[in-house]
Amino acid sequence: MKDRVLFFVFCIISLSLSDNAIASAPSRNEVIKLFTDANEQYLQAAKLIAANDNKAASQKLEEAALQYETMLTQGFKNGQIYYNLANTYYRQGSLGKAVVNYRRAQRLMPRNDEIDANLRLVKNSTEDKELSQGTPKAIQRIFFWFFLLNQNELTIVAISLYVILMILLCLMIILKYPWLKRILIGFSAGLSIAIVSLGIKHYEEHGVNQGVIITEKCQVRYGPGEEYEPKFEIHSGAECIVEGEKDDWYRVYVNIVVKQDTGSKAGVEEKVSNDIRRGWLQKKCVDII
Amino acid sequence: MKRFVTISIFIMIVIIVGYREKTFAEDIRLSAAVDRNILTINDQLQLTLTIHGTQDTLPPSFPNIDGFTLLYGPKISAETRIVNNNVSVSKGYTYVLQPHANGKFTIGPSTVEYKGKTYSSQPVTVEVTHAKTTTEAQQPDLDKLIFVELSTDKNEAYLYEQVILSFKFYFQKRLPISDIDYVPPATKNFMEEKLGDQRQYEEVRDGIMYNVLELRSALFPIVSGDLAISQATIKCNLILQQRRNRQNTSSDNFFDDSFFDDFFNRGQKIYPVEKTTRSIVLKVKPLPEQGKPKYFRGAVGTFNMEVSTKSQQVKTGDPLTLSMSLYGEGNIQTISEPVLVLNNENDFKLYPAEAVTQITNREETIRGRKVFDKVIEPQKATLKSTPAIVFSFFDPGEGQYKTITKEPIPIVVESGEQEMPIQLTQSPVNMASKQQAQLITQDILPIMANLSSLRNQRDTIFKNPILLACLSIPAITVLASFFITQQKKRLQTDVEYARKRRAHGAAKKKLAFVKSVLSGDSPAEFYNSLSRAMADYLADKCNVSAASATGDSISHLLRHQEVNEDIIAEITHFINDLDYRRFSKDAGTGEEMRHSLDLAEQLIAKLERQLS
Repeated sequence: MKDRVLFFVFCIISLSLSDNAIASAPSRNEVIKLFTDANEQYLQAAKLIAANDNKAASQKLEEAALQYETMLTQGFKNGQIYYNLANTYYRQGSLGKAVVNYRRAQRLMPRNDEIDANLRLVKNSTEDKELSQGTPKAIQRIFFWFFLLNQNELTIVAISLYVILMILLCLMIILKYPWLKRILIGFSAGLSIAIVSLGIKHYEEHGVNQGVIITEKCQVRYGPGEEYEPKFEIHSGAECIVEGEKDDWYRVYVNIVVKQDTGSKAGVEEKVSNDIRRGWLQKKCVDII
Repeated sequence: MKRFVTISIFIMIVIIVGYREKTFAEDIRLSAAVDRNILTINDQLQLTLTIHGTQDTLPPSFPNIDGFTLLYGPKISAETRIVNNNVSVSKGYTYVLQPHANGKFTIGPSTVEYKGKTYSSQPVTVEVTHAKTTTEAQQPDLDKLIFVELSTDKNEAYLYEQVILSFKFYFQKRLPISDIDYVPPATKNFMEEKLGDQRQYEEVRDGIMYNVLELRSALFPIVSGDLAISQATIKCNLILQQRRNRQNTSSDNFFDDSFFDDFFNRGQKIYPVEKTTRSIVLKVKPLPEQGKPKYFRGAVGTFNMEVSTKSQQVKTGDPLTLSMSLYGEGNIQTISEPVLVLNNENDFKLYPAEAVTQITNREETIRGRKVFDKVIEPQKATLKSTPAIVFSFFDPGEGQYKTITKEPIPIVVESGEQEMPIQLTQSPVNMASKQQAQLITQDILPIMANLSSLRNQRDTIFKNPILLACLSIPAITVLASFFITQQKKRLQTDVEYARKRRAHGAAKKKLAFVKSVLSGDSPAEFYNSLSRAMADYLADKCNVSAASATGDSISHLLRHQEVNEDIIAEITHFINDLDYRRFSKDAGTGEEMRHSLDLAEQLIAKLERQLS
């Protein structure tokens, strides 16, 4: 019996170690070194831009971007890295890549206002105007935990609630305190909400493929091929939902906003109408968030 | 409220009066029809006189009929039909007649007077024959009972013109027909659209009232020349009641009664019938070259067009949707989008239109609406209107081309704002501009460099097997504590269960004590202790008092608990042996005592296995 338990524990530890071995993420020290180096490159580039030395600045930005990308490709994901990388791309003029990385940073650091501010600024710079698809403030206030916690944090909350609930159940069974019942119901409800929230979060981040146009402009066609006529054109930084794929093409739908100024002399009034359009675009034009 | 009621009543009166006027305006006629025109002297004839166009007359005069006697009638029926807002009314008078002589008879015209005018029906000829005997073949005249017709609403048509093809299946009233199988005609070189559901109505042919089933479809010829529409076929089974000759059968035979014939389907004969129509040749003319408009794209029919825009104010380069709705009669599904006439090709950027087709009416002819949503982008701020929209079609009714031109819609085009991308890596020329200086104030926020929070946020929590395994521990603990508590509770409340559960442990302790006694060289005490241990164990297992756990009673109790007979025999023998040793002077050797102890342990182990 003891041998079996030991074997079971050994298997679990092996699996855990093998998982870590496959990922082979760099050590924290390595990451800190790369991160500080990349930040230094970025700051130097900013100074060079201020000094109008755009060529040298561009080189520094490329080096910074490469170092941020190295950390990410090695399996070390952090909201700060995505955010700094997005800033770097923005300085390089790649609006699409900046939007993608801001979005990724948002997922990992949902409470960070700096990311929201920069993303808003970049979106204003893009050629295609989009209607704000954000959730209303009232809903964000009511379901605050969903909007303030990232997926890992929600998981920790759910696990904590689960463990507390189990301990309370044990106490209830053994000690049989009647007042424990109400607490148990409360924790059960909390756990249910946490699990549902976690499921929605997981679906949002992994079930729906949200993409961003990363090329300067991209023609959305009627079908998956160059032989199909272009339907409309979207530009770097525009966001789309990927519905399907075929060969080198994605089937997407895009929220296009038609803004019209009804400009009176007193002031500019803007009329906004939303329009959803579907079409096919090449995979190389899109980066999935 | 009162005013509203007054207006409603007024409107209703207008509708009713209008309806009646419409009724009166319809042609008045009187028709006479019989349910069959050949019958035997034993049959009955049904004559129906119908006044079409009004229900407000006196009954028509009963016609002069030789050779027939009126059995009963008239049975009066009134009918009102509204088809496509056309109201038709009729009133029928049905008489049942019995022939009393053989030969050919003419049912004379009946007359009816309405508003000073006299209307009369056509005469109907009926033949009365001898009653057939059973030996005579009773093959009915199927051509008169059932026939089919295939027709088109025109013999000549233009290319793509709508032609209505109609298949009619006539069968006499009250004729039982089953298993109808329709094989439609082959309409190669036509596009075909089904028209409505099948129609069912009555029609008088040669004085006989027929039920008619009509199937209709719209055909659109796609090539010119003499196009053939092949014959249509219908297959069905006709069920006829064979009449028995009562004179030749035993009138006393109770089971020859028609009631039993009907009940057992006796006397019924099924005639499989196959009827085929003639084929039709339709002459299809090509569309005339003369007068063909420049923007004609092949639409044939009668159409109209409506044009609208979602907005009339737009910036250069922004999309503006033109909604062009074409509606009318013809093959609406195949018509092409209207043409936008541009003064200058660079004025607007045009995108392919998205079309939605809807068939609005398919009862009489194919009518529908096709809406083209076309996105156009004005390229210049100087533009004042959308392009003119032109749609040309050929009207086959009038035999000429027609063009609908919708005048340009006035729009206001403003210069679109030049979006200035915020790039600090722009060329020095741009950097020097005033606008650029303003944009720098909207620069992005600086990078983050918080090393303390720089940890891997990869989704490892989900993938960590140790964590997943650990998640089951609290649940297992809860389940374990539940079962332990339940067990404890049962041990406290269920005496029988508690005794049974604890019996083995108690016996083990007692045997250990017995073992210690064995070394003390006191056989009497050893056997007493061993006997008590065994008795207590068995009493616990059987939930009886220790005093009751003796030889016979214990074997009975163990048998009740379905213990193996061999084990029962062994136990009984062992207990008797212990009693013998306890009360006799034959104390036994140390070896025998050890053997007894071992045997007790074995028996307890065996019983544990049996009773677990």
